[in-house]
Amino acid sequence: MHISLEQVQRFCEFLYRRTGMSFAESKRYFIDRRLEDRITATGSSSFQEYFSLLRTDADQEIEHLINSFTVNETYFYREEHQLRCMTTSLLDAIVRQKKPGATLRIWSVPCSTGEEPYSIALWLMENWQQVDSYNIEIVGSDIDTRALKAAAEGVYGDRALMRLSRDIIGRYFKPVTGGNYQIDEGLRNSIEFTRVNLIDTKDMTQYRDFDLIFCRNVLIYFDDASRRLAAENLYDCLRPGGYICLGHSESMSRISPLFRVSRFPDAIVYQRPEADHG
Amino acid sequence: MADTATPSKAKVLVVDDSSLVRLYYRSALETAGFEVKQAINGIEAMEKVLSESFDLVIVDVNMPRMDGFTFLRSLRSSAADVATLPALMISTESGQQDIAEARIAGANFYLVKPVAEAELVRHACVLTGAAL
Amino acid sequence: MPLIRGKKGGASGETSSSQQGALDSPDADSRWTAARALAGQADAVPALAVALAREPIPRVREAMMTALIRIGNTASVEVILPYLRSQDASVRAAAIEALQALPDAIAPFMTPLLSDGDSDVRLLATELARNMKASEATRLLCELIDHEHHPNVCAAAIDVLTEVGTPDALPTLERCAARFAATPFLPFAVSVAMSRISGEES
Repeated sequence: MHISLEQVQRFCEFLYRRTGMSFAESKRYFIDRRLEDRITATGSSSFQEYFSLLRTDADQEIEHLINSFTVNETYFYREEHQLRCMTTSLLDAIVRQKKPGATLRIWSVPCSTGEEPYSIALWLMENWQQVDSYNIEIVGSDIDTRALKAAAEGVYGDRALMRLSRDIIGRYFKPVTGGNYQIDEGLRNSIEFTRVNLIDTKDMTQYRDFDLIFCRNVLIYFDDASRRLAAENLYDCLRPGGYICLGHSESMSRISPLFRVSRFPDAIVYQRPEADHG
Repeated sequence: MADTATPSKAKVLVVDDSSLVRLYYRSALETAGFEVKQAINGIEAMEKVLSESFDLVIVDVNMPRMDGFTFLRSLRSSAADVATLPALMISTESGQQDIAEARIAGANFYLVKPVAEAELVRHACVLTGAAL
Repeated sequence: MPLIRGKKGGASGETSSSQQGALDSPDADSRWTAARALAGQADAVPALAVALAREPIPRVREAMMTALIRIGNTASVEVILPYLRSQDASVRAAAIEALQALPDAIAPFMTPLLSDGDSDVRLLATELARNMKASEATRLLCELIDHEHHPNVCAAAIDVLTEVGTPDALPTLERCAARFAATPFLPFAVSVAMSRISGEES
């Protein structure tokens, strides 16, 4: 099916407006192929038919489309620059307000099968000088109870561990059947895994006083109203001055005006302002 | 030895929620030799100015999620390397009060829509110190 | 590392009327919590309307708008609409964003909005056509453009047509380009819109 330049432009403008994703001219082939795939996959007989479907988000087409444009694999130490930002910038800012021994609360939501919250714990132990000076609580939450069950079991294959050094695997994991590895029992017991729905306000108001939230690669899939509500819920769960990190293709510009954009050497993150201004 | 280095192109951030306006400005500015990036509202504009170095930001007033005034105020209260970025504000309003408000928020200059290409380029050159 | 979840927060267990009362609180956090607890409660619209009108803190205004969106009926649209006329650009931005989330509830208001005496309101209202069915959006925006003197309002309508316009828009767009041939930007906008719309037929 031939897609005209004007049709691709219409599509790209829609995608940019909705998600913030944009592509250089040189990526034209990349876009064309994926667009053709989606037209075929939805059984659309023309670009126009597909575009109408897309605009109404019929059959969660936006989610399928975004998935075809992003790589969404979960593994340990994914988006490492944010973990580095945590230990080189964010935690220093956060603990400035805290006494030694105080509690630091970090939330990984959605946590999927646990790679992210365990990565946070591992990274802290391996990279943060002050890890023993504070009482660190890490909560991992997801809407999917099967994922949570797997997270609690903590068993992973080679692909999930591909970014970890042999040394770290050797010290924190033990081999189990099927060529897999299970993360240390102490670490498994140190993460609190819970089920939560980001757009259920009553559910979310039970989560309080977080210093840092990782909410990566989920908000981009929500519709406008749900993104807005989830952001408001997350704001409420953060302490004033607390930080939230989104996924690499995500931006608060497409989600909510509640947060302040904050620049650090390793990442752009978002902050709940310390105080209200009129 | 004479300095034969070509001056790097001045980099402009165009901020407007209308894709047609962004296309129009970008085409005019690129033809005039500027490098152009875009943003759709004040939040994306903040992300861009904090991630990359620009010589000028051209910002619309009416944008969803974060309007041009709020963006300007946020820009002017940022870290020094970013806070002094020249800003050309573009609005549908032509009243004295709106122009005054723009100055107070931190705009270096103010134009009223619809802006002609030549007018845009001329002001961009003046605000970036590029040759006219 | 211990497993404490943190003290329970939220407003569960409080009645709607006590939450509506809390919208008056001198404490911003209480007003924030109250607004969030009232989301979806249609009887709270009048109280939210009053509270919104005097709310000085942007994030609390945002929560009140969200509560109204989640109620999402004609009454909540009527509360939000006047804010399109605000002198404050951030309030206008918040109002437009809220109304964009209510395509069904705003539909009956589109014709009056697009023929409002205030050109700023007409301009903002064009954006609301973006979430409509292509044929309906095209009809409404062409009707607007054919009677519109203000170039910026036309420009805004053309921008929406660039995304959603059907070939039915082509005659209106041609006439618009002719009317505004001497105005900056408009001829360019029309030509892009027409090529995007015609691109459907290749």
